[in-house]
Amino acid sequence: MYGNAYIDPNDKSHAIIAGEDPQKLAEFEDRISRGEKVEPKDWMPAEYRKQLIRMIEQHAHSEIIGALPEGTWITRAPGFRRKLALMAKVQDEVGHAQLLYSAAETLGKSREAMINDLITGKSKYSNVFNYPAYTWADACIIAWLIDAGAIINQVANAKGSYGPYGRALDRICTEESFHLKYGHDNVVTLATGTLKQREMVQAALTRWWPPIMHFFGPSDKISNHTEILMRWKVKMATNDDMRQQFLNMYVPKIWDLGLTLPDKNLKKNAAGTWEYTEPDWEEFKRVINGGGPCNAERLAVRRMAEERGRWVREALNTAESKYIIPLA
Amino acid sequence: MNENTIAAIKELLYKMADDLLIIGHRNSEWTGLGPILEEDISFSSMAQDKIGQAQTLYNLLHELGEQEPDTIAFMRNANLFHNAQFVELPNNDYDFSLMRHFLYDHADQLRFEMLAHCRYEPLAKVARKVKGELKYHVFHGNIWVVKLGSANEMSHNKMQAALNLAWNYALGMFEEGPFEELLKSEAIFEGEKSLQEKWLANITPILLKAGLSIPEPKTWKPVLGGRKCEHTAHLAPLVEEMSEVFRYDPTANW
Amino acid sequence: MIKSLDPRITRAEIELENPIDPLKDLDQWETYEVFHQKKRGDQHMHVGIVHAPNAEMAFIFGKEQFGRRGMSVNIWVVKTRDVFTSDYDDSDIFDTVPEKQYREAGGYKVMEKINKYKKGN
Repeated sequence: MYGNAYIDPNDKSHAIIAGEDPQKLAEFEDRISRGEKVEPKDWMPAEYRKQLIRMIEQHAHSEIIGALPEGTWITRAPGFRRKLALMAKVQDEVGHAQLLYSAAETLGKSREAMINDLITGKSKYSNVFNYPAYTWADACIIAWLIDAGAIINQVANAKGSYGPYGRALDRICTEESFHLKYGHDNVVTLATGTLKQREMVQAALTRWWPPIMHFFGPSDKISNHTEILMRWKVKMATNDDMRQQFLNMYVPKIWDLGLTLPDKNLKKNAAGTWEYTEPDWEEFKRVINGGGPCNAERLAVRRMAEERGRWVREALNTAESKYIIPLA
Repeated sequence: MNENTIAAIKELLYKMADDLLIIGHRNSEWTGLGPILEEDISFSSMAQDKIGQAQTLYNLLHELGEQEPDTIAFMRNANLFHNAQFVELPNNDYDFSLMRHFLYDHADQLRFEMLAHCRYEPLAKVARKVKGELKYHVFHGNIWVVKLGSANEMSHNKMQAALNLAWNYALGMFEEGPFEELLKSEAIFEGEKSLQEKWLANITPILLKAGLSIPEPKTWKPVLGGRKCEHTAHLAPLVEEMSEVFRYDPTANW
Repeated sequence: MIKSLDPRITRAEIELENPIDPLKDLDQWETYEVFHQKKRGDQHMHVGIVHAPNAEMAFIFGKEQFGRRGMSVNIWVVKTRDVFTSDYDDSDIFDTVPEKQYREAGGYKVMEKINKYKKGN
């Protein structure tokens, strides 16, 4: 599962394509416009590399941190079927992190460097995982709706121009379809179950709606920068497009179950566009910058896991091992 | 089958299933928190295998008249569990979890191997079905124990300490039950003594290769009681956790 | 000490402020390229990489990461650094002048001759 890459609008550091060799740049852009993929050792503009690393790395972090809110219920999942499925799902998230870190590595940033940036808070991950899973129903809502959002994002990005990222996403999307079914099955079971179960799932949905609306990020400023990233097939859809797609696919399914969403203004207008109350982007910024209910815990847990595993990793390293950038 | 034989089979199934459920549960606690991503994935797969195998055995119990697998596994009090105390101990560091996995899975593989020709066909069938999973678990355990046992001083010391801590508890896996003779004479199971001997024969060369020493036999004091439903303080909270969601609304379908 | 909603985390007794030393180079081990065969008779195909300290563990990790849903019957792993690769910059070495029909099946057209021969008889 995943949230959209967060591009800080205040980041003025991109000179974008200044200083790039115009002929190489033209060949690169031609390749992309022909629909060909870019492979690790190809020439690429520095900004392309930088944005992809940032995006894939954030995606990888989101997977490994995303294992935590649902992991909250691993020891408590009710019954064999749920327990086995939740274990497999959280395991998949760890697997996705592995695939994505590997894809990012092909661009030249080591996994160690990425993990260091995660645990020191230097790089971001999807904001939704800074919220807690209070009840079993929260874990079910995450599995259904957060994974649904992730699929929309990932299906779009799988068609992007960078080969290794696309390949990783193809595999991830296959696994996500199990997550989505699993999540939906859980939510349907609760929503069509006893009164207590219904209340439980409604409360979880109400809690998760604001983070879900934040999930795809604020409206993109149509800047030069966004345009170039879209031309390079790094960013494949605008945040608003993806949010619309999500609402279109899932709000009817939610309403079908007789569940309500905490936004009185939510409706599809005559033009087929969803209208909604503008999400609280101040809250989004506050949380992404460390002020959410679980940010500190999530990072502390990752640090703990890295630290407690260190002796294992150190012991097995042999003097002759040598890191080179993975091939694909 | 007469009543006695059925009681004996049930006793055997309960201890096997409870062992698998509880160690699977403990090992699942590592999911998302393992020492490196790749091993996290591997360890989680094996935990899933174990819980799946437990479910299969509870199904056999259900066929013999016991309650539904979910009810037996998730709604029983801790003082009705037949698992060895070994599997309920907390995970501690990865050294202990790995060592337990190694010691337990060798025993598990042998037990199922012995049962592959058992006269109670449903169990023999299960034993043949899980053969591949167990072979893989043992392969995984062997590699990890050998590598970490012999890697550097720290890992060697940690693995040796884990072995020392685990040992008497591990011997408790072979606690004899009231039906040993009956199971043997009915050609169902050769018995705990025979299992323990085979187990020792299998793990000894691996531990030797890992540079680890099995504690002196004169110090062996098997921790018994688990098979008679006597447990450490660690089991009750675990079982309570497992049933938390069920208990929230016992009438519901989850 | 963190009192978490996740009982596993509470049991781990972690401090919220727990700075650690950064991971050093090679902390995550080197990488192996993983090839798997989906079913007997198929070619082995490259499926990705794993970080591993030795070949046996690379095999275990490859099996789990790429074959845990029963997608593989056989796995090969090879150290990334042992793979010799061609460079995309040299892609033109794969270009060859097209007049080499002598090694294509389509370069051999016998029907014309056969038909002519049949007609002549």
